[in-house]
Amino acid sequence: MVVVRLPASVSPSPTSRGGDEGVLRALKHSIRSLEAGGMVDAGAIPLGVTPIDATLGGGLARAAVHEIAAAGESAMAAASGFVLALACRAHPRAVLWIVEDMGLVENGAPYGPGLDDFALAPERLVTIAAAKPRDVLCAVEEALRCRAVGAVIGEIRSADRFDLLASRRLSLAAGSRDVCAFLLLAAPGTDASVAATRWIVAPVPSRTSATGPGPPRLCVHLTRNRRGPVGSWNLEWNGVERRFDLAPSLSQPVAHAAFDRPHRAAALGA
Amino acid sequence: MRLSTDRIARQRSAPDPRPLVVTGKRGNVERLTAIDTAAAQLGLTPGLALAEARARYPDLAVVAEHSADDRRLLDGIADWCQRYTPLLAIDPPDGLLLDIAGCAHLYGGEESLLADLIARMAAFGFATRAAIASTIGAAFATARFGPAGIVAPGEERIALAPLPMAALRLPEETVAALRRVGLKRVGDILDLPRAPLAARFGDHVLRQLARALGAEREPLNPLLPIAAYVAEQPFAEPIGREDDVLRVIERLAARLKPMLERRGEGARRIELALFRTDGAVRRIAVATSRPVREPPDVRALYVERLASLADALDPGFGFDLARLSVITAEPCSPEQIGLGESSEDADLDRLIDRLSARLGARRVTRLIANDSHIPELAAAAVPAQAGTADAGWAAFRRFRAQVELSPRPLRLLAKPEPIEAIATIPDGPPVRFRWRRALHEVIAADGPERIEGAWWSEAGGPARDYFRVEDKTGHRFWVFRAGLYHSTAQPQWFLHGTFA
Repeated sequence: MVVVRLPASVSPSPTSRGGDEGVLRALKHSIRSLEAGGMVDAGAIPLGVTPIDATLGGGLARAAVHEIAAAGESAMAAASGFVLALACRAHPRAVLWIVEDMGLVENGAPYGPGLDDFALAPERLVTIAAAKPRDVLCAVEEALRCRAVGAVIGEIRSADRFDLLASRRLSLAAGSRDVCAFLLLAAPGTDASVAATRWIVAPVPSRTSATGPGPPRLCVHLTRNRRGPVGSWNLEWNGVERRFDLAPSLSQPVAHAAFDRPHRAAALGA
Repeated sequence: MRLSTDRIARQRSAPDPRPLVVTGKRGNVERLTAIDTAAAQLGLTPGLALAEARARYPDLAVVAEHSADDRRLLDGIADWCQRYTPLLAIDPPDGLLLDIAGCAHLYGGEESLLADLIARMAAFGFATRAAIASTIGAAFATARFGPAGIVAPGEERIALAPLPMAALRLPEETVAALRRVGLKRVGDILDLPRAPLAARFGDHVLRQLARALGAEREPLNPLLPIAAYVAEQPFAEPIGREDDVLRVIERLAARLKPMLERRGEGARRIELALFRTDGAVRRIAVATSRPVREPPDVRALYVERLASLADALDPGFGFDLARLSVITAEPCSPEQIGLGESSEDADLDRLIDRLSARLGARRVTRLIANDSHIPELAAAAVPAQAGTADAGWAAFRRFRAQVELSPRPLRLLAKPEPIEAIATIPDGPPVRFRWRRALHEVIAADGPERIEGAWWSEAGGPARDYFRVEDKTGHRFWVFRAGLYHSTAQPQWFLHGTFA
């Protein structure tokens, strides 16, 4: 039995019909905060991609656990890139990357110059290697309770280590401070979890040209969203703005840009 | 003197009434190296050939010597003797030197300290000869050649005079040379003129004599570094539970705190020594990334450290003494400690300390940029506790902007992995390659970026041509060819990293 106590100001009065809207909003708000386990809604981290932000209801929930799975072992680099892009939007504080020894061997260690190219200043990163998946979860939980940490990335190779209990523990820890936890999984998990969102990331061919590969492109599937619908998008890394943009729907331009058109010429200053 | 035989006797399950001798090869002859009391009473002496000893007494228990075991035992005893003083040195093969200056009163004077030491050693099954003197030389001589006991300050001459010349720790040939001219006891050379003695036997004799008499200082080379701050707690009733140990740690840390405060210092490295009732000593060290002196912080570090011990804290029958020492201390200003509230940086450092204590300091790392053009050396992961203010990334960014460095992978493999690659043109990128048994068709490639090996070093390796390639499914890799086509017969391809 759940009793929702309404604020006095919006208590229903039989005379005013206009109050119903307000009552409904207050009820929805109460239900949402109840669902969040009594924790305050710490706000959202906008991704800067309008359709995704709209789907997520403003952005990625703060103080929550997000699961990001690579579509396969080989997509781990793409998933790491996506996680990093999310993690550095979360907060300008330190980012902790906690990973199993095996993960470092299989997928490589975070490489400073590459991080610097991407989005994260390497000074902000603390890498922690753990011998066992248990130690990873333990360290993630510990890190989530620290005020100086902006985001925690926990990389786990087998999703079955991350069961409902572990996920519940982590989301409670994440809720106690406004720290985002990202679980980076080498394969999509199937178990129940209390993660706020669940993503599957795969690389897609970039806009290649004669000079080589174009900016990184990913296909992200949002397969679980506690705040709304799910979806699937193609994203392209914007190296100037240092964020992901929605990729044009075709991976290759159908025809070359026409330079002889008047508006093009005007745009070029001719 | 009975170290080897006592060790063997302790390990025996049932007592053996036969005289015990330990033997080892000296030259080409099997000789006795150690004997027990029963053998000594028969008139055997170390150095005797085993064949001769057997001829005289056929019923001997003979065991081969094992000097490594003896040394380990001596180290263990030295560890245990830390309960008397932190300043001690090993005097191989079977001696220990303890500097008890300022410690004797804790045991109610020198006599009772000596009695306590001998009684406890006897309880462990070791026959001990111990002497206390003002100099190392005099104590050594009295313990090994004299009546043992205590030599009062200023009486070194009297104590040393009747002892044989070997008591001065002289080489055997010097002792033999002195004996040839009739100088057999220390007393014989005490009053001889110095100059002829030095001319004939070397000044080593005089130096050893001066050291034994206290005319020249002799430094003790301590076994363990001397801690700057020490607090210890003996227990009437041995403790064994982890909670109790943690409580003791906090109490000892609380005692260290005012000492540290007085000198404006904080601990960077702390060691806990737990003395077990059976003589074993367990040492557990923790390190911190900034100076600490608050007892709860020290306790928190040990909570993590004890939780991560591979072999659990084995108390046996309990610990009867706990000692907390600050091995490394550093000056720390009050704001680093934090008055009431603590800054975010301090919080992060505390988290790093806790994780380092649990997982090991090498596992918690920060990235630093090195001044190197070789990709795997350009960035390094260093323990986060080492604490570097400027990690060199600003310089790296300037360099990258200057030379327009091509993109670097997000994740770099610890070691480049060999791949089977096919390139259409000799210096071109691969068109397809096989990595970890999966075939990748390259559709786009950027490169080469030629990175010269460390030509100044023997193990520098050949030049590498790096390519950024993308395969049909969109995976992006950093591959390189080691060696150039015209200079290498069969260039080998490697995969070094992956891009997002």
